[in-house]
Amino acid sequence: MNTKTNTRQLASSATTEKMIAIEKMNKWYGDFHVLKDIDLTVHRGERFVICGPSGSGKSTLIRCINALEEHQEGDIIVDGIKLGKNLKNIDHIRTEVGMVFQNFNLFPHLTILENLTLGPVWVRKMAKAKAVETAMMYLERVKIPEQAHKYPGQLSGGQQQRVAIARSLSMNPKIMLFDEPTSALDPEMIKEVLDVMVELAETGMTMIVVTHEMGFARTIADEVIFMDAGDIVERNNPEDFFSNPEHERTQQFLNQIL
Amino acid sequence: MAIVTLEKTTARPAPLSETTALGWLRINLFSSVFNTVLTVISLYVVYLTVSSVFTWGYLDATFIADNRRECYKNSLTGACWAGIINWFNNMFYGRYPDAETWGVNSAAVILILWMAPLWMSRVRGKILIAVSVVVFYPFLAGYLFAGGAKSLLMNIMVTGAIVAFALNLLNTLAGLFTDTSIKEALIKVLGQSTAAEGTQRKVLFALLVLCFAVVFTLQSNWLVTEVSWTRWGGLFLTFVISGIAMALSLPLGIVLALGRRSELPAVRVLSTGFIEIFRSVPLITVLFMATTMFPLFMPDGFFLNNLVQVIIAVTLFNACYMAEIVRAGLQAIPKGQFEGAHTIGLGYWGTMGLIIMPQALKHMIPNIVGNLIGLLKDTTLVSIIGLFDVLGMLRSISKDVPWLGLHKEPLVFGGLLFFVICFSMSKYSRHLEFKLSAGSRR
Repeated sequence: MNTKTNTRQLASSATTEKMIAIEKMNKWYGDFHVLKDIDLTVHRGERFVICGPSGSGKSTLIRCINALEEHQEGDIIVDGIKLGKNLKNIDHIRTEVGMVFQNFNLFPHLTILENLTLGPVWVRKMAKAKAVETAMMYLERVKIPEQAHKYPGQLSGGQQQRVAIARSLSMNPKIMLFDEPTSALDPEMIKEVLDVMVELAETGMTMIVVTHEMGFARTIADEVIFMDAGDIVERNNPEDFFSNPEHERTQQFLNQIL
Repeated sequence: MAIVTLEKTTARPAPLSETTALGWLRINLFSSVFNTVLTVISLYVVYLTVSSVFTWGYLDATFIADNRRECYKNSLTGACWAGIINWFNNMFYGRYPDAETWGVNSAAVILILWMAPLWMSRVRGKILIAVSVVVFYPFLAGYLFAGGAKSLLMNIMVTGAIVAFALNLLNTLAGLFTDTSIKEALIKVLGQSTAAEGTQRKVLFALLVLCFAVVFTLQSNWLVTEVSWTRWGGLFLTFVISGIAMALSLPLGIVLALGRRSELPAVRVLSTGFIEIFRSVPLITVLFMATTMFPLFMPDGFFLNNLVQVIIAVTLFNACYMAEIVRAGLQAIPKGQFEGAHTIGLGYWGTMGLIIMPQALKHMIPNIVGNLIGLLKDTTLVSIIGLFDVLGMLRSISKDVPWLGLHKEPLVFGGLLFFVICFSMSKYSRHLEFKLSAGSRR
């Protein structure tokens, strides 16, 4: 779906500092080769949008970045730290990389406020009062401070996803990953979530977004990546990507979703 | 052409059958001739049963008598509750000396007073209260039950229990009347509210040490008459065995469940093996093993009394069932919850303790309480290996000379007693479920 509201384009805030460096990365599920020789470098402030048909490996790719999935070959270096078997490294990287899921994955037994303060208090060892203060600030930013004392089950899908974004932000991450953040939402709610994401992009956050919201991609992306069957088939700036796709597979895909 | 509804349809009241008792009766019990006949017949059967039980148990029953013969003189068809009433003390305390039952009673009262603040919303520091119960109460209760000379450890723990209990009471009062914790109240009373946090902490710590020292000296002269565990019995023994087993089997079950799901092969195999072996053996076998076989394998001079062996056996047996319940709860938690927890940087224990376990245990409340009720009833099996729990006591009434052959009434009474206890547990579990489901209610 094309969100026509986001027609303006953001200025790139990219710098030369490498945030994510993926080199010759391969992943298999059993015998199935999901990701093939992936090379990708993301600099601080860069915003990438990844799209592609289902099963192309786009979700798996970003899940590898914060070690929710293990890769078998090649290197992933996040913020200067190499991902490997070392659990300490993994825990550290996860505190620096925020992630937003298709199904929100909020903690249903905690209130919205507790969802937001849990990480800062238990992982960052922040004082409770300070954590509540920052949590409220992030809830203002996603425009639902009045829901702070409700439980996730009492909120609409769009509100839950905004809480999920605020929960990630409350850890003050350097990178934000979004795994199809609007795919489980009603059309009416997609816009409110995308608006929050655009605002986040304006602050200069490094972002990788897996999405099929092409209007959104046009607005914020520094680069759009098209994946198919475990390969990065085409990457280009959004203008050329949409108006002038080069690979035949990209053209087919764009014809189907636009 | 489009069809447009301009006016909103107004809401009408629900049909009478939904809102009034009479309407409900007419729809559900008297809707046809056949249903009416069925209803009348059923009511008659219910009347027959209830009235005969009522006549036997109350109208024709004897409540005051010195022996069974007097009961018969009073009425041949009624129940002889006098036997139960005469044995009341034995049913609750077994053969515990009458002069010492105050120890058991006060331990019960202390437990209630100690735990009650956990249910009061105005009281602060609930985690500390819960920890203090678990750490100190068993020693105080154990000493009140068993008595005798105190070892150094016992001296320290009894002192700790008294101090913790007193602080808890004060904290409860502070919470109820001034809405503060004992810590804040004390600081205010001592005039230290403007002092630095470090100074405050030092003052409080000094006060605590002082209290401890004073109580320690005072309690060292306090001796409770020794009562051998062989004289424990009745409902008291049932509660001791099942209480300890309940308190230990849940945490142990959680550990076993986590072990069975562990990624470390050794831990997983050990936990699985332990669970499967204990689960495949009847409890009565485990009890006999514990009391007769276990001492054979122990080194010379190592001696545990029967009661301790029984408690360990019941705990381990029950922990295996608990482990499977907890594991079922863990299976029900979607993978996304683990991932959500990982992405905010929580490690294994943080994820389990803060995110997964609270949800899993909440889902499993009905099963956990069901298991605890089962455990309470299972402890009656110990009467077979020579411990006189409440069932053992009830059955000995019929062997007491004045009440020879009195079988029916004690068993009916025992049944009622267990029903009251178990039904209250089940009601409380329903209440707990409702209270904790606040998150999933819309």
